[in-house]
Amino acid sequence: MSGSRRFLLVLLVLLVLVGTRATVHAHESQPGMLDIEQLAGDRFEVLWRAPIYFGQPHPAHPELPASWTTVAPSTVRELADSQLFRSIVSVGRAGLDGAVIRFPRLESTTTDVFVRLERLDGTSMTTVVRPTKPWAQLRGERSWRASAADYLGLGFHHILQGVDHLLFVLGLLLIVEGRMTLVKTVTAFTVAHSITLGLATLGYARAPLAPLNATIALSILFLGPEIVRRWRGETSVTIRYPWVAAFSFGLLHGFGFASGLSTTGMPRAELPLALLFFNVGVEAGQLVFVFLALALAKAFRVLELRWPRWAELLPGYTVGSLGAYWTIQRTVILLGVLR
Amino acid sequence: MGSLAGAALLVGHPATAAAHLVTTGMGPVYDGAGHLFLTPEDLVPVLAIALFAGLRGPAAGRRAMFLLPPAWLMGGLIGSVLRVGAPASTPALSFLVLGGLVASDLRAPVAWVSGLAVIVGLVHGFGNGAVLRDGAGTLGLIGIVAMSYVVVTLVAASVVSLRVPWMRIAVRVAGSWIAAVGLLMFGWALR
Repeated sequence: MSGSRRFLLVLLVLLVLVGTRATVHAHESQPGMLDIEQLAGDRFEVLWRAPIYFGQPHPAHPELPASWTTVAPSTVRELADSQLFRSIVSVGRAGLDGAVIRFPRLESTTTDVFVRLERLDGTSMTTVVRPTKPWAQLRGERSWRASAADYLGLGFHHILQGVDHLLFVLGLLLIVEGRMTLVKTVTAFTVAHSITLGLATLGYARAPLAPLNATIALSILFLGPEIVRRWRGETSVTIRYPWVAAFSFGLLHGFGFASGLSTTGMPRAELPLALLFFNVGVEAGQLVFVFLALALAKAFRVLELRWPRWAELLPGYTVGSLGAYWTIQRTVILLGVLR
Repeated sequence: MGSLAGAALLVGHPATAAAHLVTTGMGPVYDGAGHLFLTPEDLVPVLAIALFAGLRGPAAGRRAMFLLPPAWLMGGLIGSVLRVGAPASTPALSFLVLGGLVASDLRAPVAWVSGLAVIVGLVHGFGNGAVLRDGAGTLGLIGIVAMSYVVVTLVAASVVSLRVPWMRIAVRVAGSWIAAVGLLMFGWALR
């Protein structure tokens, strides 16, 4: 079977496999946001930004304490990637401290929710609600350690849920030869995505989500032929200098990571902390993945595995086919957005 | 006689499929992977078969690596259809047999390792299947299977690469502990 036919076959199998699952959309791991802002006395404005989840309205919705009463009817605004619910509530005499807001059905999703409370006296509180603990207790100021742990976990989750980012890292590992080149390549990727993550989070640069996701997919597709070329013993600029590709595409992936750190409404003072620990979480997740991949590669050598030809080519074709599939899918989404 | 009847009942009695997967908040695949790490009844037999395969050399390690995960998947799929839990004695029996094999460093042929890997995969996967049907489903099962593949590969390769004799003895000691825990589990069930 010729190389191109094999590629098409693998692509077809993957398309069938992925297509049988629910419609896959560009970014399923965007966080939600609950913003509670004091207007006067016991009056608070509650804003709930529910990200679109697998093409559907998000199944989770905040359940406010029973003692709170709605004083203005709720409104809903449909945005490109989310729904924005707005209501004004009265928290009554009991006040707000210690109140618990639950998020029923969040546990059946993979969505994290930022909760921010801002009072008129200038004090604020932020916390992250996870599917593993789908509620938030509103209290006074939190220690920086608690916030740091939240952002660390958020970054760690974001990279491990981002199959596209992991596949790009795997593609790089497959073309890299030698320890020094590996260190340079991983470092280049880390530095590059840290730069754009920082720029995007601090508001100095912005990349629209739809074209960004299509380009990230294209970066994965780009690595597929390089892996096959490397396996055949051929060379190219990417194979000789993989850190160049790692750095260039790493800049794009950094914008992608920034989409996991919704800074809408985040207190300015908390931005550096959020950025630092979110990035540390991303690096930790990336390192876990890299070490696991390298450990497996070493284990294969120790166990004296002799892979058949088709199995040796499989990683390259898988990376290339998935890259092609996502590129087509995300370009279709992009064109849909533009129309 | 009573003890014998109790043991027979224990071996044949299916476990209640009441356990739930751990929620990682990262989707069913990670829930499945987390399940293996947080369920000693499943993790220890996987470790034990990997230790035993590693002691028997690279060929046995390869067999365990390629046979246990698909057998686990097959068992899980069958279990999810039949919805009957694995016998309650499964973990104790697995601990006892596999721990005993590791401790004794039995010079078994590679075919034994293959057979054991298939049996362990099928039986433990079967137990998971009944639970997964109401929870994380097939994706959760894939998470468990993928993690079992990683654990078997890494542990078996680590044991194969051991060159110092006392380290092989340490592996055998670990096997004896596993067997001892299996014995205690049996004793506890029969009390």
